[in-house]
Amino acid sequence: MYTQVLKAQWLTARTAVMLLVVLAFALPLLVVTYGGNLEGAPSGRVATWLFAAQRIGVLIPGLALLLGLLLGLGAWAPDHAGNHVYALSLPVPRGMYVLLRFAAGATLLAVPVAALGIGAAVAVASVKLPSGVHAYPLELTARFALAALVCYAIFFAISIATRRAVLATLGVVCGILLADLLLVALGVESSVTQSVFYLLTTWPGPLSILMGRWALFDV
Amino acid sequence: MCRRAVVWLALATLGGASAARTQGVPRKDHGARGLLARAESLLADARRADSADRWRAQEQRRARRFDAGDVTLLLPGTVGRAAGRVVVASAAAYLNDLGAVPEVFLRRHVLVTLLATDVDVTLKTEGLLGRATIGIDLPLVPDTLVAGWSVAAAVVRAYEGTLDRAWQDWLPTDLSLGWRVAADGPAAVRALMEGDTRAGAKCLEGEVARCRLWLGLDDDPDPFQARYEPGEIRHLVAQREWFYEPERADAEQCVAGSDDACLRFAEGTRFVPRIPAGAAARRSLLRAVRALHGPDALLRALADTSGSLGQRLARVARVPEDSMVAEWRSWVMTEGGQARVTAGVGDALPVLAFVGLLLLAATRGGRWR
Repeated sequence: MYTQVLKAQWLTARTAVMLLVVLAFALPLLVVTYGGNLEGAPSGRVATWLFAAQRIGVLIPGLALLLGLLLGLGAWAPDHAGNHVYALSLPVPRGMYVLLRFAAGATLLAVPVAALGIGAAVAVASVKLPSGVHAYPLELTARFALAALVCYAIFFAISIATRRAVLATLGVVCGILLADLLLVALGVESSVTQSVFYLLTTWPGPLSILMGRWALFDV
Repeated sequence: MCRRAVVWLALATLGGASAARTQGVPRKDHGARGLLARAESLLADARRADSADRWRAQEQRRARRFDAGDVTLLLPGTVGRAAGRVVVASAAAYLNDLGAVPEVFLRRHVLVTLLATDVDVTLKTEGLLGRATIGIDLPLVPDTLVAGWSVAAAVVRAYEGTLDRAWQDWLPTDLSLGWRVAADGPAAVRALMEGDTRAGAKCLEGEVARCRLWLGLDDDPDPFQARYEPGEIRHLVAQREWFYEPERADAEQCVAGSDDACLRFAEGTRFVPRIPAGAAARRSLLRAVRALHGPDALLRALADTSGSLGQRLARVARVPEDSMVAEWRSWVMTEGGQARVTAGVGDALPVLAFVGLLLLAATRGGRWR
């Protein structure tokens, strides 16, 4: 059953997955554009290179978001197209079917993650680092996997949510924005949006994984 | 101004007429006398108006007191009350954020803008006569945000002047007022990475003892010899022409290969900086000490006068000097202590819990229910 779902999901998402694989493989390699032996390089060159690594690192959580978005929404695309008739005709409980869909999407997610890991490994192998600077290909790949997973789960849940759940979520978002406007009108120097964003993006917030440093090469 | 021009024009015309009269046949001219009387009257009016304008301008610039925390500021009346409050509040916020100037110093001083008038009267009426004044050069209508920083910088400069010689020689201008790790940290790292000295390069690579040399934290009796290699001084000297004695002779010998001449040159001129690390890097060190060891750490370090600067900073940090420098290096290179890329259990747990929660929600309700 899982294989069938995976196959169906692959057919709908393969273009996106292949595109993301190329991007994920290329991103770490961009860091080593200067390439070569940095062991005896002047410190200025190492500096430029480290800054480039940090700047390119910022793109990686963006890629995780894109990956989660495409696969999360894509996971339910065939069901939405067929008005869920196929899902209803299957002799499996609904919960199981959701899990199968999620697992299939997560499997596809692993392909770009692996591509990023391979790209990072190739990037690390192609430079000789000066002492004091280290490479973190495994940590970067694992963090990318976690970030992509959380984004995928969010969009997967949004995609299958009932109209009532979507309305409730939108209501909460609007409520927060309204509360902010009210606070501004009352002259209170506090922001609910900012507080919520802080809670979500600061550990142990679920989106904290997208924050922090993403440099393949660091001190 | 325009009125005065008219009056002078009238007087000039009359003067011309009178001169013409002396050359021609003298005769009483009632018309001219009337004109002269009118011109004199206009001149008197103009003088009165000028005097009133001057008085009004003087009044507008009369010093007005603003307070925020321990900061007391006299601003000219041209700065509105609301703007004045913003200026003094932002100055106090900058100083509080820096945490280097003691409250007692602030309470003993009053900040006075140079364009304010009747300062003495205001000081007397406001009961501030016992306080020393710190002059600030602000425009009559300043940009409030910039003015807040300028006021705080004036306080910092005045306080720096009271510190011991070692601190005065080492501290960067304005200490690290308004310094932000996200915005200003990269400049410090760049300074470390682009430094021309071997000490800087080795510091970048993790040799803490070289960081101390680069930052000029040790009490080196011969700082140039300790912090630079002769070749580095030679490189700096060779960058320009030297025309005047005695530096010319030393410069020529230095470029020709004499290490002693290079050291003599460095000691004799101010061309080679005594501390290889620039202001950006030194500011970052001050900020790191404050960020890692409490808001009053910098205050205590600046008040300390015994031992080398590194020892003073290490004392407030309560760690060995090398550990303190290593902390700074790591702090500044990771944008204020942000850890390098991590993916441990601590990172994974919230993600997995959240994913589980979403999956649970997805399995319990959906579009075809």
